[in-house]
Amino acid sequence: MTMRFRIRHVTKYDYPEPVYESHNEVRLKPRDSTHQRTIGFRLDVNPPAAIAEYHDAFGNIVHALSIHKPHRELTVMADSLIEHDEIPDIAPPRNPSFAEFLIDDELRAQEEYDFLYPSRYVPFSDQLKRLFWMQHPKPDQPVADYVARIVAWVRDQFAYEPGATNVHSDVNQVLATGAGVCQDFAHLTIGLLRLAGVPARYASGYLAPRGRLRPVGSQASHAWIEVMVPGRGWTGFDPTHGCIATDHHLRIAVGRDYGDVPPLHGVYRGASSVHRMGVTLDISEDGDPGPASTDSGANQQ
Amino acid sequence: MATENARPTNSMPPVSAAYHPAEGAFDEMFRPDGSARPECSAVTEAVFGRGVDELSKIHASAERMLLRSGVTFNVYGESAGAERIFPFDVVPRAIDSPTWATLESGLIQRVKALNAFVADVYGEGNILKDGIVPRDLIMDSSQYRRGAIGIAPPHGVFITVAGIDLVRDAAGNFCVLEDNVRTPSGVSYVIENRLMLARLMPDLLRECRVKSVERYLADLLESLAELAPAGIDHPTIALLTPGPYNSAFFEHVFLSQRMGIELVEGRDLVCMDHKLWMKTVYGPKRVHVLYRRIDDDFLDPVVFRPDSMLGVSGLTAAMHAGAVTVANGIGTGVADDKAVFAYTPQMIRYYLGEQPIIPIVDTHLLREHDVRAKVLLNLDRYVVKPTGASGGYGVVIGPRASDEELAKLRTVIERDPKGFIAQPMITLSTHPTLVTQNGGAPKLAPRHVDLRPFVLMGAKPRVLAGGLTRVALREGTLIVNSSQGGGSKDTWVLEAPC
Amino acid sequence: MLRRVASQLFWTARNLERAEWRARLVNVNYHLLVESPAGAIEGWTPLLAITGDLDLYVTLYETPAEQSVLEFFTLDDANPSSIRRCIGYARENCRALRNCISSEMWAEINSLYLDANGWTYDTLQAAGIFEFFQDLRNRFYLVSGIVESTMPRGAAYDFLTIGRTLEAAENVTRMLDAKYHFLLPHPDDVGSQLDLQQWAAVLRSASALEAYIGTFGNAMNIEHVVDFLLFDKSFPRAARYSIDRLDAALERVASGGKEGASQIPTARTLASRLRSGSAPGVIKDGLHEYLLGIQDDCAKIGGELFAKYLRFE
Repeated sequence: MTMRFRIRHVTKYDYPEPVYESHNEVRLKPRDSTHQRTIGFRLDVNPPAAIAEYHDAFGNIVHALSIHKPHRELTVMADSLIEHDEIPDIAPPRNPSFAEFLIDDELRAQEEYDFLYPSRYVPFSDQLKRLFWMQHPKPDQPVADYVARIVAWVRDQFAYEPGATNVHSDVNQVLATGAGVCQDFAHLTIGLLRLAGVPARYASGYLAPRGRLRPVGSQASHAWIEVMVPGRGWTGFDPTHGCIATDHHLRIAVGRDYGDVPPLHGVYRGASSVHRMGVTLDISEDGDPGPASTDSGANQQ
Repeated sequence: MATENARPTNSMPPVSAAYHPAEGAFDEMFRPDGSARPECSAVTEAVFGRGVDELSKIHASAERMLLRSGVTFNVYGESAGAERIFPFDVVPRAIDSPTWATLESGLIQRVKALNAFVADVYGEGNILKDGIVPRDLIMDSSQYRRGAIGIAPPHGVFITVAGIDLVRDAAGNFCVLEDNVRTPSGVSYVIENRLMLARLMPDLLRECRVKSVERYLADLLESLAELAPAGIDHPTIALLTPGPYNSAFFEHVFLSQRMGIELVEGRDLVCMDHKLWMKTVYGPKRVHVLYRRIDDDFLDPVVFRPDSMLGVSGLTAAMHAGAVTVANGIGTGVADDKAVFAYTPQMIRYYLGEQPIIPIVDTHLLREHDVRAKVLLNLDRYVVKPTGASGGYGVVIGPRASDEELAKLRTVIERDPKGFIAQPMITLSTHPTLVTQNGGAPKLAPRHVDLRPFVLMGAKPRVLAGGLTRVALREGTLIVNSSQGGGSKDTWVLEAPC
Repeated sequence: MLRRVASQLFWTARNLERAEWRARLVNVNYHLLVESPAGAIEGWTPLLAITGDLDLYVTLYETPAEQSVLEFFTLDDANPSSIRRCIGYARENCRALRNCISSEMWAEINSLYLDANGWTYDTLQAAGIFEFFQDLRNRFYLVSGIVESTMPRGAAYDFLTIGRTLEAAENVTRMLDAKYHFLLPHPDDVGSQLDLQQWAAVLRSASALEAYIGTFGNAMNIEHVVDFLLFDKSFPRAARYSIDRLDAALERVASGGKEGASQIPTARTLASRLRSGSAPGVIKDGLHEYLLGIQDDCAKIGGELFAKYLRFE
């Protein structure tokens, strides 16, 4: 069955002094995939901004915003209408072990280079490597099983705790505190899988509430991972929930890590101090407006 | 060889007897037996015919002219903002017409291939998929820029201005030492040197029918204009400079003045509505083509370094929108990476289906185990250069390095083999240069030279006739950089044997 | 013309004028001090009042004395209007302007800058104070001469003119104010030898003595001096002449743009006021207030210029 979701995502920035020039890149328009299509999208910005659309190096949809009017508030509203198919539960034609998988190394390194190597938030530090060796795969172990196991293992070993880390924390911070939020769970899992030679990438998006699968905490903005599973291709997993990605995981963008897909990133002139950011998110199924969830916190743009 | 056009050399003035070509190097004017090379014998005779005293006087005039016209460069680290003239040697370096014709086609071939390479790397990546160039070489390069992906410049031109460094080995064959395709500099000296010799030795220039270099500025302007976004008939072009403290500022002033384009700093520019504008007293004026002389990292704080004061926020968005062309494009540094250099002959074959016309200096990739083993055995014979993946280690000239330096280098290489390549030390060709040693009488003595021709790529390729001949002014030294005691000579491409 | 370039030209000219003015002032007043009976004038204080630097001086030094005042005017880094600092600003601005000023202009300013870097109080003394400032004044004349001879009469020349004339008008009115208001002697001394010498010094400070005599004859009286230095329409340093030139330059600049007419209203009104002013009138109504009014207008003009043409960041 194909589900339809309506997402209204409003981000508001308040500045203590006026900002008089602002240039930003926004990644809020979900890109299409095999099972997901964006059938409607609207971006509203206040104060009005010049908006141009293009694709970045990872094929994500980027909107460049530029504002030249003095302002003390910036509101960015993204309104998306998404269709998501049910993900068929078909057994893959083959389920190779690591020994077989790693024979293909050269080819994989060629095609998935970006997703096999360290990146800004996922350095291959000694701490990460130590963790990896505690859980490293055996040669005869099927890759798909290992991936599922690691995803579940991260969920069990680390606590979901907002505030333990911040938006700029890399895997080392998560390892140090033993806790983090979905962004951190994703980075950590990506690191472990890359060390095993399995291409893994970061996915940003939304988790529409369904049954027991509610957004953890009050954030429906969500981060999970995609893994190149042999025989299946890029497959979504959610380390925060320890499960495979569902048809309620609505993906916006992919990249090596958070650094490649910040929802809004830019520079501005004027206000020199850190400002406050508020996010309002409404996700509804089949167009019915659902209960709004809000989350606010200090954040850099 | 144009022996039938050679004039008898027994009329050579006695001063040439005092000139001793250096051992083991190819002297550009004289054969080992002391006779003048026929290709440029007229120039040789005329120069030596003047006598050292007259040449010294001409040299002194040249220095005065240079100082007055302000042909200087800022030396980094000199706080009083001292400017030095780039030392100039009045003895011109001649290249005969057939040799130049070959070089010219080789240079065009090379820059076409490099351009295709950059377009491919930020596009389909075919050369990487086909395994010709290792992917990690590109992805690990400090010059690889994801920000370049998705930007389609007019005519597919990423490299508008290239400076290709050529050297002549002991057998007299030209080969490529390295490519410079980011923000190559030096062309202002070429034009100023010519202007000076035109004033000081006009008769000789006329006699030998030297190809003009004056067209270069018009050619550069045309090339830039040809790269304007589609639909713009009268593009506004500007030159982006880091400002007066940059060592090449003189050149930025020179080029913008002579081309009649605006010289701008980052703070003069603003992106509005995803178009590029400059801030004039009458309001914002649109810029269609930006000839930028700042590094990628400083170009756009939104995508690159956020603390950059030299660039313009939102420039890459304007490039994506097709509203402005930036020359040279973002990320061209992948093509002048020292390790990638080793693959340039394959690039020529891959993209053009041709054999390289100008060979490259043997370049050994130390990332390859067997190659590395062999080089490390004889490290004192090689020049070791850092690649784009290295952590900023400098160039080491094996034959000139101490045992301690070599030992340190060996350790560094072992630790990070991908960071280095090795080339055999080439004994650069020599050219008679006016020198005064230890306050003694001036004389003509051989000094090592190289050649940096400049290649332009607009809607079509154009090559500056000649280029910058850099000369190492200290005896025996091979280092020709301005910052390390080098100077320059006027380069004369002869129209026909004379 | 880029706004930054206009701004840099403007400030180059203001700084050169400011430095030249000080060189002239010191040159003239040193002469006066040497010729006057000791103690007849309170030393160097008047000079500081004329340039408007008295408050700053007092925070840096204690009492005005020859060496400290000369250092303050010429060498002091803590004084943003010291001759050396003004030369430094002019040179830094010119550096970025290499593509629109002549190489001779650059060469001379750069040479002045390199020399100024080497000055110490000993340099001044060794040359002789009078000679040092005379030579320095002449070097500024040289720079002006180079500008006049080598600069094409376009927007760049206009912005140099705008900077120079605005600074000149401020300087002459401040000097008049200082002499009239601050240096006004006891009523019994009006017309005394000292008073007359001071007026002559004021004229000399503006290089105006001979021209004044040509217009008004040998007699120094306050009305004539005010008339000459404020309202003369042909003397280069008269306030009216400076503002006329300023207004004309602004008119030319505006004609290059869409609006056509001058975009700096205060320059227009000030020019008009100076054209219709006369000494008896302003002295009767209050010279000090009148001079302050001109300075206010000059400050306003600076603000309007900034907003309209010069601001780029």
